[in-house]
Amino acid sequence: MNLIEMEQIYKIYHEGLENEVRALNGIDLSIGRGEFVAIIGASGSGKSTLMNVLGCLDLPSRGTYHLNGKLASSMTDDELSHIRNVEIGFIFQGYNLIPALDALENVELPLIYQGIGAEQRARTAREALERVGLGERVHNYPSQMSGGQQQRVAIARAISTGAPILMADEPTGALDSKTGEQVLDTLHQLHREQGTTILLITHDNKVAAAAERVIRIADGRIVVDCPREEIAL
Amino acid sequence: MNLKQSFRMAFKSIRSNRVRSLLTMLGIIIGVAAVIIMVSVVRGSNRHIKEYYERMGNNRITVSAEQWGGMDISQSLYDYCLSLGPLVYGVTPDITTEGPIIYRDKSTGDMENGSPSIKLGSVQYSLCNNFQIARGRDLCQMDIQSSQQVIILGARTAQYLFNYQNPVGKTVLLRGHPFEVVGVYQAKDPDSEYSMDNMAVVPYTLNRLLNRRDTVDSFTVRASSSETTAEVSSRVSGFLKGQIDTERGYFSVYSENQDMKASDDQNRMMSMVLGGIASISLLVGGIGIMNIMLVTVTERTREIGIRKAIGAKRKSILAQFLIEASVVCGVGGLLGIAIGVAGTLVAGQLILRAVVLPDLPMSAGAFLFSVAMGVGFGIYPAAKASKLQPVVALRAD
Ligand SMILES: Nc1ncnc2c1ncn2[C@@H]1O[C@H](COP(=O)(O)OP(=O)(O)OP(=O)(O)O)[C@@H](O)[C@H]1O
Ligand SMILES: [Mg+2]
Repeated sequence: MNLIEMEQIYKIYHEGLENEVRALNGIDLSIGRGEFVAIIGASGSGKSTLMNVLGCLDLPSRGTYHLNGKLASSMTDDELSHIRNVEIGFIFQGYNLIPALDALENVELPLIYQGIGAEQRARTAREALERVGLGERVHNYPSQMSGGQQQRVAIARAISTGAPILMADEPTGALDSKTGEQVLDTLHQLHREQGTTILLITHDNKVAAAAERVIRIADGRIVVDCPREEIAL
Repeated sequence: MNLKQSFRMAFKSIRSNRVRSLLTMLGIIIGVAAVIIMVSVVRGSNRHIKEYYERMGNNRITVSAEQWGGMDISQSLYDYCLSLGPLVYGVTPDITTEGPIIYRDKSTGDMENGSPSIKLGSVQYSLCNNFQIARGRDLCQMDIQSSQQVIILGARTAQYLFNYQNPVGKTVLLRGHPFEVVGVYQAKDPDSEYSMDNMAVVPYTLNRLLNRRDTVDSFTVRASSSETTAEVSSRVSGFLKGQIDTERGYFSVYSENQDMKASDDQNRMMSMVLGGIASISLLVGGIGIMNIMLVTVTERTREIGIRKAIGAKRKSILAQFLIEASVVCGVGGLLGIAIGVAGTLVAGQLILRAVVLPDLPMSAGAFLFSVAMGVGFGIYPAAKASKLQPVVALRAD
């Protein structure tokens, strides 16, 4: 079985009401270990919704979703927390760092929830920050860092647990093109060196062009799904 | 996630939100301190009044009885009280006469805060009125039987007349008659100017000499305890009814415990009113806490979302908020107790001129109430937030 297996996934808001929205409308998708997938589509097409379901941040209205062989679509809240903690690293468009904690403490958080002891935690978190080039900034608070630096802290947090999957929803959306490129380079490097599976939402064609596989969403359905070479962006 | 880390996280969060933590604490501090101070001071004043009555000699029953043209009932009343055995502590004639007492060039008539009350009593006078001998000796049976002109001085009177000299053995003049000072009582109420220590006692058998009367018509009976006071009162009443023909005489039996009870009731009322006001202030403080806690959690829904997104389970979130709330409220409560204790001591000095200590169970109650309030209102919204889907919580801002 593939790392990710989705069958007939629906996400329907206000179901049965007149303002019903089919954000996901029958998605079948499988993604293998070590792939680098870009998800593209118009605004409102359902990219974030798909990512949230893939990332176990949200449950589908219908359908089955297996992540790493486990049936994620019918897990309890705490089981989903566990999956997110050990299997997935998230990178959000808005960074989502905790402002009261400094860079190191933010990166340590997922390790705390894994129950890792203080010493090892600090070491691992520091290594992750060094990998994203923030070895000098470990005690800066989010408010004391640029957007690019904050996003790199978020990446360090996502990779600190050694999760096999990284999911990023428009990680460069709030960054200028140069810092955006640095962030993407980091992702590519992780993919190359660690074999991390990467799912990336973007509406930047250049970004998508760097992926191995591109999936295009429209109105909650997958309309294109092909290796990069074949796609006419 | 273990407990130590939860505590670390909680402290971290408290420190990084100093103002909010302080505001939460403030409500608790004020509420707890107010309750402690108000209730303690009222309780202290109650105790103060009770102690005053006790020093004066509590459980006293004042008996007046006279049979016109008849015989003196003091012997039969004495015998009757004796027959009551352990119910009665003592009985004495208790007649008042006029001063002044003069020693050399000093007269009690010149005393600034009023002249002493001069009593005629028996050997049990001191027993019935809770006096103790400091110097010399008390009245003895011989003094009574042979109408000796001896006098025991209260501490204040002795101090006025003799300053720091030893009065024992000196002779004073009471309304022109020479009296030998044989003893001095200990001060019962050294703080007060209008003191129960401004007094003197002489044998009641001098009634004829000082008051030109043969019969004794007033007595003090002291019951053995507050429980027996009522019973002794009614028995003595019954006895006097049999002794005195009310057409040709009268009697009355009166116990100061009645006064004490009235003032007790009054104090209990005041205690309740002030306690009520304090409780309202605690409640208002509690509502303040609740408000801040609700705001805190709403403000931090996003944080809860982030924590959940990266793997926090519900109980980790709950533990964090529970510990945060308990630490903030606990510290606030302890500060409240500290301020309450200090405030009680200060208020006790200012209002009652006495060391008043706060009531322990009540302090503990106020503390627990405010902590429960903070924790309850901190935990409830946190529990709600911890159940949100991370996507929903992340959308909040
Ligand atoms: N909580 C919600 N309630 C109702 N409708 C929602 C909700 N969340 C998303 N939608 C709707 O679902 C559809 C898909 O939204 P989604 O956020 O997945 O789009 P997107 O492809 O990520 O768009 P963008 O590129 O602008 O981020 C949209 O029509 C949106 O309005
Ligand atoms: Mg989106």
